[in-house]
Amino acid sequence: MGDRTDPAGGGIAVADYDVVIVGAGPVGALLARELGDDGTQVLVLEAGPAAGRTWAEYQANVEQYLGSDAKVPNSPYYTPQYAPSPNVLDIRKLKDGVPSDAGYFVQKGPLPFSSDYLRSQGGTMLHWLATCLRMVPNDFEQQSRYGKGVDWPISYDELRAHYARAEFELGVSANVEDQAYLGITFPEDYVFPMVRIPPSYLDQHIANTINGSTVPLDGGDAKLLVSSTPQARNSIPNPDYDGGKGYRPRGAHGAPYEGLRCEGNSSCIPICPVQAKYNPLKTWEQVGPNVEVRTQCVVSQVLHLGKAGPVQGLEYIDYTDGAPPSKPERVTADLYILAGGSIENAKLLLGSDVPNTYDHIGRHLMDHPYVIAWASMPENIGAFRGPSSTSGIEILRDGSFRSDRAAFRMEIDNWGWDFCTFAPYTDVEAAVHGNGNGKGLFGSALRDHLADTVPRQFRFGFLYEQLPSRGNRVEVDNRYLDALGLPRPVITYDVDTYTRAGMAASRSLWEKLFAVLGAEDHTKFSRTDPGYLTHDGKPYTYHGAGHNVGTHRMGDHPENSVVDSYQRCWEHENLYLVGCGSLPTIATSNPSLTMTALIFRTLESLRDDLGIR
Amino acid sequence: MTASTTTPLETLREHLQTAIEIEWSTIPPYLCALWSLADGPNEYVAGNVEEVAMEEMLHLTLACNLLNAIGGGPRLVPDPVTQLPQPPSYPTYLPHSDDAFLVNLLPFSSEALETFCLIERPAAPGAPPEPGRYRTIAQFYAAVRELLDELGPDIFTGPPERQVDQRYYYGSGGEATAIHDRPSADGALEVIVDQGEGIPGESIWDADENVFGEGGELAHYFVFDELYRGRRYTKDDTPSSGPTGDPILLDYGSVLPMRPNPKAEDYAEGTELRELTETCNATYSRMLVELDAAFNGEPSRLVVAVQTMLQLRGESLALMRIPLGDGSGLNAGPAFQWRAPTAT
Repeated sequence: MGDRTDPAGGGIAVADYDVVIVGAGPVGALLARELGDDGTQVLVLEAGPAAGRTWAEYQANVEQYLGSDAKVPNSPYYTPQYAPSPNVLDIRKLKDGVPSDAGYFVQKGPLPFSSDYLRSQGGTMLHWLATCLRMVPNDFEQQSRYGKGVDWPISYDELRAHYARAEFELGVSANVEDQAYLGITFPEDYVFPMVRIPPSYLDQHIANTINGSTVPLDGGDAKLLVSSTPQARNSIPNPDYDGGKGYRPRGAHGAPYEGLRCEGNSSCIPICPVQAKYNPLKTWEQVGPNVEVRTQCVVSQVLHLGKAGPVQGLEYIDYTDGAPPSKPERVTADLYILAGGSIENAKLLLGSDVPNTYDHIGRHLMDHPYVIAWASMPENIGAFRGPSSTSGIEILRDGSFRSDRAAFRMEIDNWGWDFCTFAPYTDVEAAVHGNGNGKGLFGSALRDHLADTVPRQFRFGFLYEQLPSRGNRVEVDNRYLDALGLPRPVITYDVDTYTRAGMAASRSLWEKLFAVLGAEDHTKFSRTDPGYLTHDGKPYTYHGAGHNVGTHRMGDHPENSVVDSYQRCWEHENLYLVGCGSLPTIATSNPSLTMTALIFRTLESLRDDLGIR
Repeated sequence: MTASTTTPLETLREHLQTAIEIEWSTIPPYLCALWSLADGPNEYVAGNVEEVAMEEMLHLTLACNLLNAIGGGPRLVPDPVTQLPQPPSYPTYLPHSDDAFLVNLLPFSSEALETFCLIERPAAPGAPPEPGRYRTIAQFYAAVRELLDELGPDIFTGPPERQVDQRYYYGSGGEATAIHDRPSADGALEVIVDQGEGIPGESIWDADENVFGEGGELAHYFVFDELYRGRRYTKDDTPSSGPTGDPILLDYGSVLPMRPNPKAEDYAEGTELRELTETCNATYSRMLVELDAAFNGEPSRLVVAVQTMLQLRGESLALMRIPLGDGSGLNAGPAFQWRAPTAT
């Protein structure tokens, strides 16, 4: 422990550290690097294991992924018994009134919360897709404009410079002309660090077919446009970046000449084998000596006064696998930052019985319910090449329809039907067994059949916004504890009619697109799917997008929020809750870029508190 | 040794074209050795061979940049009229060398390693610069440096847009830098010689630590030397101590047994192996065309050339996994034969 002496010599207890950060994921990494570089003494406590500290260690994760039967997001990563992570394999179809405790989560329904996260150094961003869309300006004013959700306490314009900083940190590849839509603006001379990732052949085929055409939606005609997706994935550096200084792509952690470009390994989720995709290990590599990281240390309590006022310390349990865990140890700091992700932050606060006067902690949990529609093209469109998604339809992310139904964005997905049917493995199996008509294929007939059918597969993924609802929430319950005796997240979750109406609108879109493309629709929604639901008599199955948002939302007043616009807890002035949990609404952009931008706003406040200028 | 009508600048350009041909002719043998290790457990060995192969690609790129910087134009495909340069046809001597040894396309083997050590052999201390009929590659580059000294700083007149830099060259052996003056030229030459041979007579380590902040790596000669001797070099070893570290475990049984110096003509017309070998030859030739364009004013063509390289690897590996079926126990392999693409 960093014993610091009282500079006044008066024997008064001084804090062990300037700052303690809970969580060594993307937020913890960036905050630790920045504060450490300022000369601040920082301790980071991470519940999960250290991960990928060397190229060889990272390659071991790649091997674990290759060797795993079910290639789900968490499959490459080690999860210790004392710091379990939720796993999408544990998601069950819920029965009325019967909680499911199949995995780490306890799900009370009525519908399952279908996303996971990863408790590990590097965090869930080890297996993100790296989509880096900015929010559109109207997203920050959803209540004022559409009477839905809430307004943010900050505007797009206030966040714009921080977005640019985040695009540098994550290393985003995009072209400004593709991204200036729905009121998104950039400074006149702005360029992204790297030029856009080339659109896939599928992207180009769809763009050539549908750009400029319209689809009847919401009683009008919606114009269609395929947009290149901004991605934190290495591409050709833009020589005009930063006023002509250019940008240097960042290679792999521990192997600087690996991963300088996306190589099309097509396993971004769950692991990029060359680290062309940003992951927080690249930031950990830059963290300086003022930062101490302790992994396998689960924070068990936030110590407080039982009323509003400064947090008094943290307790944590240090464990080694297979051995009995330690007794809780205590650590103190001038500032405390919870950066464990929305659900872990809420769980820790609720489990510590932290004063919560207006009862917002843990509430307003959101995700992007993700519906997949899949089809087969009349010809080979080169499925299973490149990153999973390189383009989408983004211009339907905002409009007056948001008074009535959820907006959505549409991903064009390059990996065939992998998430829908576990293609191509299931295609091989089905063909070997005769595709249901008894005559099994083998040898060159099998090869020809697969070469003819599999490369025609494609799918669209729809991400719908979800309104903040007090009923969608994380709780703790002493009946449900983990191996350390700490509470597991108990989740109540539903998808409301606003979001379901968005699904209905997307159905009009995909049916129209499949028709225009001459594609054969293979979409199937089964009553046995955990995320099965209906709207206006039509079925949908949603999946989780891994966008765990809400639980400690920001606002302009303690009555409507947990944190202020700097992510400082209203009731506990030396406590910051940083991450996607602070987002008041989820809108339609994948949240990591916005989360990263907000970190830079938070740093302004942290530096004020610490007297750094 | 130059004809009276040849200016020193033209001589330097010729030397750099030779440099390009030397680097180029080393790459196919290294790739054959590397790819023959694809199916086995020899990860340490493969990693080291791969590193050398990629650094040769960097050296080729830097040599092209230098030639472009002094107003020349690298040639990687034969001129339709002069048929020069002729792409290497294996077995071959290193271009313009003293013909002391032949370079073969072989799977990973001690015979291959012996040749690789000869290719990367450091110059003996005090060996004179030698542009033609050189014994070591370092002697050759010393001669290049002497000509640069003679010509002075005003020869860097090539259009900067012909330089291939980190926009298009990446992830392979270090950083391709644009060359526009004598210091940047010296930097490039230092990378080529030091990565290849170490600091002659002094060290087994290359200069990456100084140049790229990479942490030292073994110079090429010592990479192959330790594999040949089956024992790893450690931090304090020197050229005279030889390697004193752990033994290197080599599973020769898992090496793909490629036939030496494969050629399309080894197989009868119409056979599958003939067709696959010619397909692979066509891919190799297309890659050379794309590289030639990339180094002659269209640097962005390198993006396409890299895709073709990956295709070449796939087609080569497929060949290396096909047994000849003639009782020899050998497999087919990539031939790296130039096939002029037909005009389209």
